[in-house]
Amino acid sequence: MLIAFFLSVLLGAFIMSAALAVHGDESNQDRTTTILRAVDDLWRGDSSYAVVTMQVKTEHYTRSMRMEGWSKGKEKTLFRVLEPLREKGTMTLKSGNHIYTYLPKTDRTIRLTSGMMMGSWMGSHLTNDDLVKEARLEEDYDATIGFEGMRDGHDIIEFTLIPKPDAPVVWGRLMLTILADSYTPVLEHYFDEDMELARTFTFTDMKMLGGRERPAVLRVVPADKPGEYTEFIYETLELNIDVDDAMFSTQSLKRR
Amino acid sequence: MRILTLASRNVRRNWHRSLVTMLAMAFACGIMIFFSSLMEGMMLGSEHSVVSMNMGDIQIHAHGYRDDPDLYTRIDDADELIVALEAHGYRAASRIYAYGLLAANMASSGVQLRGVDLAHEEQVTELFKHVDKGAWLDENDGNGVVLGKKLAGTLGVGLDDELVFVGQSSDGYMANDLFRVRGILKSVSDGIDRMGVFMPMQTLRDMMVIPDGAHEIAVIRTDRTGDLAEETAWVEALAPNLEVKSWKQLMPVVARMIETADVQIMIMLVIFYIAVATVVLNAMLMNVFERIHEFGIMKALGVSPTQLVLLVFSETLILALVASLAGLVSGWWISDYYEVHGIDMSALAGSITFGGIAFDPVWYGAVTADALIYPVAFLLIVAGIAVIYPAIKAALIIPVKAIYYR
Repeated sequence: MLIAFFLSVLLGAFIMSAALAVHGDESNQDRTTTILRAVDDLWRGDSSYAVVTMQVKTEHYTRSMRMEGWSKGKEKTLFRVLEPLREKGTMTLKSGNHIYTYLPKTDRTIRLTSGMMMGSWMGSHLTNDDLVKEARLEEDYDATIGFEGMRDGHDIIEFTLIPKPDAPVVWGRLMLTILADSYTPVLEHYFDEDMELARTFTFTDMKMLGGRERPAVLRVVPADKPGEYTEFIYETLELNIDVDDAMFSTQSLKRR
Repeated sequence: MRILTLASRNVRRNWHRSLVTMLAMAFACGIMIFFSSLMEGMMLGSEHSVVSMNMGDIQIHAHGYRDDPDLYTRIDDADELIVALEAHGYRAASRIYAYGLLAANMASSGVQLRGVDLAHEEQVTELFKHVDKGAWLDENDGNGVVLGKKLAGTLGVGLDDELVFVGQSSDGYMANDLFRVRGILKSVSDGIDRMGVFMPMQTLRDMMVIPDGAHEIAVIRTDRTGDLAEETAWVEALAPNLEVKSWKQLMPVVARMIETADVQIMIMLVIFYIAVATVVLNAMLMNVFERIHEFGIMKALGVSPTQLVLLVFSETLILALVASLAGLVSGWWISDYYEVHGIDMSALAGSITFGGIAFDPVWYGAVTADALIYPVAFLLIVAGIAVIYPAIKAALIIPVKAIYYR
């Protein structure tokens, strides 16, 4: 889920805010809501521009890709690949629940169908579905505070997120760990429907980004292939900038 | 005593009854030959549909590929293996597969790209003859692809329409290219109809960055009479550390259906010939009862019971032989006609699929030795069994009583 926090600039996902249902008594509920809102605020912005490097290591290949991205509101995101040269100009447009890809080599734009959603996004360990689904987490999960206190020398808060009974999600449970003082996310575990660990997100490297201290590196490690990972590294992040709505249309993909 | 002369005279004496009995037997024999040839035709046709269309007799994969068709699970020394197989009298073709998204206009669909080694593939399978519209692949037209029937419908494309493929190449980059619809296949099998995109192997190798290796090798036998299981074992010896399976192991449902066709023929034979046996039994019993007086005189003249049994058997044998000859000729003639022309089932069933394999809607007969021999042999045996009772009846006659029998 924190991919959404982290890539919120890219994904335009602002999650967990007031809409998130919280269990527990009145005061606890208030507190959980407040904290999660604060975590959310860390990434909040009506629009954004970012430059991110993605590094992927798998059993078969290692690759690195640099891209820039714009977002506006919750639903609109656009990425453009800067490097390597072979893929330069490839664009991914997320508009609502649809993902469009512009391919400079063929000069065509295609829409990814539902059948492709579980496929890898740009060869990384994230699926296309991750890009779309993350924005809807607030509607699909209930949050509780599972643990509070010192762990590994840090004062942390651990949230457990359970999908609502009829939520259309593939995960059985999410565990989110944040630092208690700064409300900075540290770790997030994804468990599948059999409650087996499926993948781990780690947030590291605090850095000034967009005028605040934020973790600049997100690493995704699939549980079944511990030797593989995908890493996102922020170079630049600008929040609340002027972005034209017309940018997020399929027509604009070709023109850019 | 010349039993055969006597028997043939007896047959001719009541020629009406003989004719009716013979016609019944001949009809049953002819129908059974026709039925057997249709069943044999179905067996051969089904095997042909499975083997020659895409499967081959034997397939070779790297271990685990069939469970998880991973781009990286390859047969590394595919070319050497094919040379070795060809040296042993087999014909073989390697294939590479990849998955991704194919888009046309705003429609798109998940597809399986099938890179085909054209020169070898045409010696192994007959898919290239199975093009409905347009033409089969051409090495010189690298971006001309051939689509499965349903896939073309899903994408709403016709000949010469443009297609965009997006997938992930083996080095993790985005693989994408423009293709053109060169041909659309007839119905082949469920997988190919829905997802199959055929292209020259080199095109796919370049796009997906698979410089060598293959995902699958299809092997076909030049001499199809040998034992498939045995030959699968030979191929396995040539391909160590690879998974070698015959088409019967890969398509057990279809293989079982074809194997049970033999049993179906036998069941039909038994049912038909029980009817024939009652006709023969009835005719010969009538024959014997009518001639009790005559048999009594013969016995009184010194004809032995054994000779009487032989006489009745000979009469039946003559009837059965003439009938089987007539049945053979007519059955063969009808079967031969349908071996050439076939029965077009497409009006009844449209396209016929079973176990994910599309079968030829025109049902051809096959005149095989089995289809001819079994009905004739069964007829003679059944007639022989049916006549046992009348023959014994004739043999056990007491001359004094029989002579006065009216």
